[in-house]
Amino acid sequence: MNWKTKRKLFIFVFTVPTLLFFCLFMIYPIVQGLYVSFFDWSGGSETKTFIGFDNYKEMLNDPIIGHAIYNDYFLVFWKVIGIVGLGIFFAVAVTRFRLKGAGFFRQVFFIPNILSVVVIGVLWNYIYNPSIGFLNSFLSLFTENKVEISYLGDEAYAMWSLLPPAIWAGVGFVMVLLVASILNIPAELYEAANLDGASQWQQFTRITMPLTWEQIKVSILWVVMTTLNGSFVIVWIMTEGGPDNATQVMGSYLYQMGFRQFHMGYASAIGALILVLSLITTLALQRIMRRDTHEMS
Amino acid sequence: MHKKTLGSSILSAIIYVIMILWALCVLYPLVWSVFGSLKDNQQFLLKMPWSLPEWPLLWENFSNVWTNYNVGTYFMNSLIVTIVSTVLALLLSSTTAYVIARFKFTGSQALYNLYLASMMIPLILGLIPLFFLLTDLHLSNTLMGLILVYTAMNVSFGVFVLVGFFKTLPKELDESASIDGSSDYGVFFRIMLPLARPGLISVGIMNILNIWNEYVMGTVLVNDPSKYTLPIGIAVMQAEMQYRTEWGPLFAGLLLSIIPVLVVYFIFQRQITSGMVAGAVK
Repeated sequence: MNWKTKRKLFIFVFTVPTLLFFCLFMIYPIVQGLYVSFFDWSGGSETKTFIGFDNYKEMLNDPIIGHAIYNDYFLVFWKVIGIVGLGIFFAVAVTRFRLKGAGFFRQVFFIPNILSVVVIGVLWNYIYNPSIGFLNSFLSLFTENKVEISYLGDEAYAMWSLLPPAIWAGVGFVMVLLVASILNIPAELYEAANLDGASQWQQFTRITMPLTWEQIKVSILWVVMTTLNGSFVIVWIMTEGGPDNATQVMGSYLYQMGFRQFHMGYASAIGALILVLSLITTLALQRIMRRDTHEMS
Repeated sequence: MHKKTLGSSILSAIIYVIMILWALCVLYPLVWSVFGSLKDNQQFLLKMPWSLPEWPLLWENFSNVWTNYNVGTYFMNSLIVTIVSTVLALLLSSTTAYVIARFKFTGSQALYNLYLASMMIPLILGLIPLFFLLTDLHLSNTLMGLILVYTAMNVSFGVFVLVGFFKTLPKELDESASIDGSSDYGVFFRIMLPLARPGLISVGIMNILNIWNEYVMGTVLVNDPSKYTLPIGIAVMQAEMQYRTEWGPLFAGLLLSIIPVLVVYFIFQRQITSGMVAGAVK
């Protein structure tokens, strides 16, 4: 075998097995998911009927879909505000204000980011537990009667109650991302600003914000992507989409349709909807935020 | 002129208080699950949630949950699945990443784009077909099935980070090695992989955390309790709590699934944070 054939064989051996493996367990299921969305199918091999766009038409008339989309974007909106807002605050706090124990705060704040969503869900379910949970016991200290709010069981509170665990779990990551980029800003810029008598707030808006804007953008996109693609898990652990669909998001509805009610085709159409909405949202956000960069520079 | 006014000291103090409060919010649930894991039901129902566990501490909650609630089995399943998938994912992604980073060939850019693009796609879309695929392959309810799926889920991240890493290694090294008569395989395994160790560790740790914590795929693909991983087992235990309230064992099980992750975190902090940043900045 000459050198060229050997090199070709080498490239083949190093790429094709990975590619085949990846296609079988990642690409094929995703493509198949799109394909199945055009069928009426209860699972198993029997009774798979092609019905064209009927699953999609059905989604248009399904009030729960609209509600689930609303809930997804409710989470996206408040999580961006909470996670990115607090993340920026903490990042500035540990870098620009010479706090004692900055390293300790960085380490501790990141811990929730490495925990399983199951762990986070179980911990917070206990915080929210109406009779023996931390929150009600704490609130009861300030009142005559024992507080017995069912945070996850009450439609009025359930969606809002999903936010604290989600924010709790995400802030550390944004902080770490921004700390790295704030530390990269040349110290002379801040020294010069100090000499000019700029306040901390002015230094933040004129130096820190513009020079970390790329990372802030990444943080926002990260929150949006992980929420649209993955909010299902925390919802499933904490409420299973209830009470009465109050906390249903697209992912939990997909799971329910597919594995509880065995409407595999309809569930797959919901999967396609998640794909389309998350692509549109990230593209739109990137466009909006790109314009912002131009205005700032 | 340096300004250290009263106003700025007050500001610092306020920020300090907020930071401490948030640290308490983060740590307290963890400390408190340690307390919880040492209490009996009586203490859960009658005492305040923040009360210290009473003497004697119920260490038997841990042995109880390990054997009678099968957390021992879940733990070992998680361990096997995590180790094997991580090794496989590293092998598959480093070989491809090396070739993409070092050789020009038709389709190399397309290959890279495929792995990159797949990181943006919601995995849940493939959930239902994966379930039927594994059933057809007689791999549902097996650890092997989970291993294959978890490996595939982690390949693209590895390719993405390691392509960047291999590109930073000096080209002269492999050129001189191949002049000395090493085969391409020899150059990769004996020179490039050892040099790429920091990158491999970073990717490997991220894979370990992802796989140890994974829940969605696991809960759909495995219905046999003897094959549960920890997150699935804990979620099922929690769901069963409505019928038999055994808080102590639940918290003990929770801790058993958290401790390994915390240990990994405190050893490999730098790799974890840089790995996550790399994953987000794609």
